[in-house]
Amino acid sequence: MLTYIIRRLIGAFAMLVVISMVTFGIFYVVPQWAGATPEAMASRYVGRAATPETVHLVAERLGFYDPVVVQYGNFVKGLFAGAQYDYGAGVEHCPAPCFGYSFITGQPVWPDLLDRLPVTFSLAIGAALIWVVAGVAVGVLSALRRGSFFDRLTMGTALAGVSLPIFFTGMISLVVFSYGLGWTPPGGAWTDFSENPAEWAYNLLLPWITLAFLFAATYARLTRAGMLETMGEDYIRTARAKGLRERQVVVKHGLRATLTPILTLFGIDFGLLIGGAILTETTYTLPGLGQYAILAIRTQDMPQVMGVVLVAAMFVVIASLVVDLLYAVVDPRVRLS
Amino acid sequence: MTAPLDVSGSAAEAHPESVLAGAGKAIQGRSLTRIAWMRLRRDKVALAGGGVVVLLILVAIFSSPIIAAFGHPPLEFHQDQIDPATLLPKGTFGGMGGEYLLGVEPVNGRDIFSRIVAGAWISLLIGFLATVVSVIIGTVLGVIAGYFGGWVDQVIGRIMDVFLAFPLLVFAIALAGVIPDQGFGLEGNGLRIAMLIFIIGFFSWPSIGRIVRGQTLSLREREFVDAAKSLGARNGYIIFREVLPNLVAPILVYATLLIPTNILFEASLSFLGVGINPPTPTWGGMLSEAVRFYTLPHFVIFPGLAIFITVLAFNLFGDGLRDAFDPRAH
Amino acid sequence: MRRKHALAGAATAVLALVLSACGGGGGTAQPAASASGGGAQAAFNAAVTGVFNPSTKKGGTLKAAHSADWDSLDPGDTYYGYSFNFGRFYWRTLTMYKPGPGPEGNTVVPDLAESLGEPSEDGKTWTYKLKSGLKFEDGTPITAKDVAYAVARSFDKETFPHGPSYLNELLEWPEDFKGVYKTPDVDFSSAVEATDDSTLVFHLKKPFASMDYVVQMPMTAPVPKDKDTGAKYREKVISSGPYKFETNEIGKRFTLVRNDQWDPTTDPNRPALPDRIEVQLNVNADDLDNQLIAGDIQLDIPGTGMQPAALGKVLPDPALKARTDNPTIPRLWYVSVIPDTPPLDNVNCRKAIMWAADRVANQTAYGGEVAGGEIATNVMPPGIVGQEKFDQYPSADNKGDVAKAKEALTACGQPNGFSTTMAFRADRPREKALAEAMEQALARVGIKLTLKGFPASSYFSDYAGNVDYVKKNGIGLAGHGWGSDWPDGYGFMQAIVDSRTIRDAGNYNLSVKNPEVDKLIDQASAELDETARAKLWVEVDKKVMEDASILPVVWAKSLLMRGQGVTNVAYNEGQSMYDYAMLGVE
Repeated sequence: MLTYIIRRLIGAFAMLVVISMVTFGIFYVVPQWAGATPEAMASRYVGRAATPETVHLVAERLGFYDPVVVQYGNFVKGLFAGAQYDYGAGVEHCPAPCFGYSFITGQPVWPDLLDRLPVTFSLAIGAALIWVVAGVAVGVLSALRRGSFFDRLTMGTALAGVSLPIFFTGMISLVVFSYGLGWTPPGGAWTDFSENPAEWAYNLLLPWITLAFLFAATYARLTRAGMLETMGEDYIRTARAKGLRERQVVVKHGLRATLTPILTLFGIDFGLLIGGAILTETTYTLPGLGQYAILAIRTQDMPQVMGVVLVAAMFVVIASLVVDLLYAVVDPRVRLS
Repeated sequence: MTAPLDVSGSAAEAHPESVLAGAGKAIQGRSLTRIAWMRLRRDKVALAGGGVVVLLILVAIFSSPIIAAFGHPPLEFHQDQIDPATLLPKGTFGGMGGEYLLGVEPVNGRDIFSRIVAGAWISLLIGFLATVVSVIIGTVLGVIAGYFGGWVDQVIGRIMDVFLAFPLLVFAIALAGVIPDQGFGLEGNGLRIAMLIFIIGFFSWPSIGRIVRGQTLSLREREFVDAAKSLGARNGYIIFREVLPNLVAPILVYATLLIPTNILFEASLSFLGVGINPPTPTWGGMLSEAVRFYTLPHFVIFPGLAIFITVLAFNLFGDGLRDAFDPRAH
Repeated sequence: MRRKHALAGAATAVLALVLSACGGGGGTAQPAASASGGGAQAAFNAAVTGVFNPSTKKGGTLKAAHSADWDSLDPGDTYYGYSFNFGRFYWRTLTMYKPGPGPEGNTVVPDLAESLGEPSEDGKTWTYKLKSGLKFEDGTPITAKDVAYAVARSFDKETFPHGPSYLNELLEWPEDFKGVYKTPDVDFSSAVEATDDSTLVFHLKKPFASMDYVVQMPMTAPVPKDKDTGAKYREKVISSGPYKFETNEIGKRFTLVRNDQWDPTTDPNRPALPDRIEVQLNVNADDLDNQLIAGDIQLDIPGTGMQPAALGKVLPDPALKARTDNPTIPRLWYVSVIPDTPPLDNVNCRKAIMWAADRVANQTAYGGEVAGGEIATNVMPPGIVGQEKFDQYPSADNKGDVAKAKEALTACGQPNGFSTTMAFRADRPREKALAEAMEQALARVGIKLTLKGFPASSYFSDYAGNVDYVKKNGIGLAGHGWGSDWPDGYGFMQAIVDSRTIRDAGNYNLSVKNPEVDKLIDQASAELDETARAKLWVEVDKKVMEDASILPVVWAKSLLMRGQGVTNVAYNEGQSMYDYAMLGVE
């Protein structure tokens, strides 16, 4: 078990290295292929009508004259050993993990990420709660009443749910419930849980439901298919023959086997969601990591892009690791080796 | 199964063992195709989905005569339809009526009906061709991983993991933002479409790759492969003559289900402003403009509905197809 | 970026008077030029003609919001009009634009200084005397040293890349001076010096007449040396104005509260009415408009006008429209026609584009006659000193002249038209709409336009303003916009028409590469007579239009909404938006 975890951790680490290199390549190397000089890159980060000297100084300060390998090396060094940041009047130590300082605002990236994480996390956790409960419940009921009106209605809705782009449902829901009826707050409303839990939930209600609608559809369909399969297995028949009550059969035997693939899916979905609910956050202008990522890309703020991508990837990796470990708990047949 | 859009790559397809276990065992030569076809014919919902898909393809192919008959050229401005102060359509319901079936766009008064018809072409083209790219990469790598196993499998497996851990949308946006103007003998929007197809296809292959790998893994252990091996057949022969033909059905099913995901992917990129360059109409691009005019329901709803109907039709058809090939889920 | 002038203001004011007279409601419209005019009667353009809802009542909280992030709150590192305007709540500079409505808003009045600057005979030395009783928020007195230090620290463009470089270029800096942080021991008194606690002297490289305009910029806002933290100073700016920072969360929000060390008797320009000012950053622009309409937010900080969705709501509704103002601002939106890209190297092909463009469609793309602006027929916007309106490419109804365009094409040797690429900023919906309108209009004469969108953040550095990129990719047209730092020809034109400013990357002059234009610019700069100088700038304008390297689109207007419950609202020409420092709440 321990060696398995260590091996997986090493694998996860290698993956993050690859991802960081690719990201770095896209933002630092590709523009150079397109012909961008260090000065051209630096002139994105200066004010209007900056003089060539200003541009040159900024290019130097941001390290654009160094070979890309050196720039990448400095980035990695910052992550593990921290970095020194010269803010003019003095030098500040940026402790590890140092993702550097924004090229535009001069603010350290890491605190920014930590700051936005709760927003995305709140969005993901609330939506996840709704979609798992609703999705699995609907899936089980549909499977048990296969072919009924309920089954057809919910499965039809589910199929419609997965076919709707969230930027469309999000916009419509905002126009109707927020701008129109005034039931929900407008986009961009955000209150920290610790400040006011009720308002926190109220502000997130619409994004939660919209997001959960999409995912619940997938989960309902998967649960239904899984239940149909397991309920036909011999051991279910045996359980029934033993005289167990139907509820027990469904929950203890049927659902348990069905949950394994659901768990896998959930782990990955949740990880990806934390990594960047870009469209949801853009539609509702929630100040989370997804919105941060889009702003960073739009303004080509490279340290911010690197930071958000790595944090996002880290969550996916952690989520899949946790899922694999949970597997062993849910399904005793799985051996970790 | 289409993944919810926010995850861009389909997580559902990443672990499709539950549905796949059946499909593999069910493959029994040609008769299966016939059985599947019989099942599919009985599935009215899937047929309806398939019918809509065919209709959409026809609309895309014959977009020019359709627009000529029912609308105005999709790029043509009709500023006489626009209130010069607010820039909104003068007519009620966004100018909807016999002249402009679905109304006109604000600012320039372009015919929304024509733009939606013209947009079908881009959506379907990118959806299809990106899927082809995914299928090619996914099949090649999946077969290699599944058939040869060992370290090859390990390496390809890791690559797939990396792709699944990528915040794909972030990368796609970043890449789409730096597409050059000319290259590979193409220029302008031609190159852009090609690059989008490549980017979307390139990021979606692991879903197909996993399925193909799993299928190949199980096929490798089957009697007819053993038989071919013992007769001294070479790997190439076995792969092309024994393994691949048995993969056609699952690939077809999952390719059908990948198309709508890719259509949504394209729409998201256009929505975020990194898709096809204007003035070429795309559904995602129309929606992204509609955000600024959210008070105009017709401007928001029609492109949204177009995406919805297309994706739903593919999903219904793909679902039916899978059920047809997989008796256990049926 | 900013700055304006008198003519436009007067014209708008007259127009507004007519409108408010027609619009009726028995308004208390006052003569435009009287800053004391105005009233509480809501009417379209009420705050352009006079002070709307005048008040001297103190107290309350002003709620403001910004749809993006501030470039920097540091007075030495900011270059946005809204920032110069808003910053006066917490900083004071040597001079400032005269508060209030009307053309007087273009003039400067003393702020920290007792009077406007005293130039030496040769115009190379400017002396400012500071008032007495000035204090920082911590009670320490503000001396000329603190202003000199602030000017010197803003020299370091590595630490403060965003701010204007005027003083870097104008003053006689020592060779070995690299900024107050890198070379703390170098004496910079050859550029700026405090000869005593209340006397500040600037030493210029060459005579310069408009020093009073330059020192109203926040580089002269005093910074105490012992509190200066370089690039981190933006997090804790020490106030010299009527308000100081209570909280400051960069990128999110900040709050200003009264600075009890500010002495109103030293400051006749700032009424300092609210007790508290709360600012939200990065608010969705559409939500911001909605909240402004509803009254949840009282001030839209960027001051560039409402979003399209809000226009559809506000303009048809008389009650809402009465809360808005529609001033013309000294900004031109245009298309650069780049003469490096064949066949646009031929002036006749460029002229074909001038003739073929549909000005009405372009204006609509830019937001129409209310939110967009007036159709521009030449480069200099109304409001620039001595501006003349002329039209070398007239057409019926401004829809373009297809016949003339075809003639020009024939003269260019391309009778069937040609193909070229137009660059635009993809994240600017209006510029995208403009590109689409150009594509349609040029297609009428066989000019095929391929449109290509780029991110605004690297538009000038990597694409349209990058000489190499433009040449390699055959960019023929590029969407562009420019506002002036000065209300004169030099302040508006020089940066976008002088070919000698062109470098490898980061250019703002994309297309005007004409030695005759350069010669005229030199002539104008050397001309000491104001009227003659203005005439020469009109000559420059005419030459550029003949050269057909700029296709003007609109002289911008913005639709501003007065917040609910806000008092003392006036559009200030110097700021090109409401005068923020005057505002109060009911």
